[in-house]
Amino acid sequence: VLVHTAFDLIPLFIFIGGGATMSALYLGRLALRNPDVSWDRKNNPEPWNNLEPTQQYKLFKVNMDYSKLKKNGPDF
Amino acid sequence: MAETIEEKIKGYRTAPFDARFPNTNQTRNCFQNYLDYHRCNKALSARDQDTAPCDWYQRVYKSLCPMSWVGKWDEQIESGNFPGKI
Repeated sequence: VLVHTAFDLIPLFIFIGGGATMSALYLGRLALRNPDVSWDRKNNPEPWNNLEPTQQYKLFKVNMDYSKLKKNGPDF
Repeated sequence: MAETIEEKIKGYRTAPFDARFPNTNQTRNCFQNYLDYHRCNKALSARDQDTAPCDWYQRVYKSLCPMSWVGKWDEQIESGNFPGKI
């Protein structure tokens, strides 16, 4: 077995750590920003209704101009 | 730019894009419009107003929802079993 120091493994830690961080950040975005997630069912029972008609949740959009949208149904 | 709701219902072709439900799975869109139709009817008739504007929601859920679901929910509403909050 060749002798080595931990320094050789630094790129490994960078990539694994970076990947783990990005996964954790995305899970955090899902937990806190996803309109299907409700942490407080009593006060926020339908969190998707909090989205504005022009608000975009998806990260990327193709062929969709959100600024032109308006609320569809009548208020009641 | 803002059409009246009667004009919108008259010119209805299909359910328009709804930013609240941008993904392929439109189940919630269907259920939300079904709920909104019944909530709208309940709210407007409680205030003694004409419930015709609520028909927008009905057109949308009829476009989106499978007929079997609508039938099942209608039965549940009649028998008082409907799980959603109206």
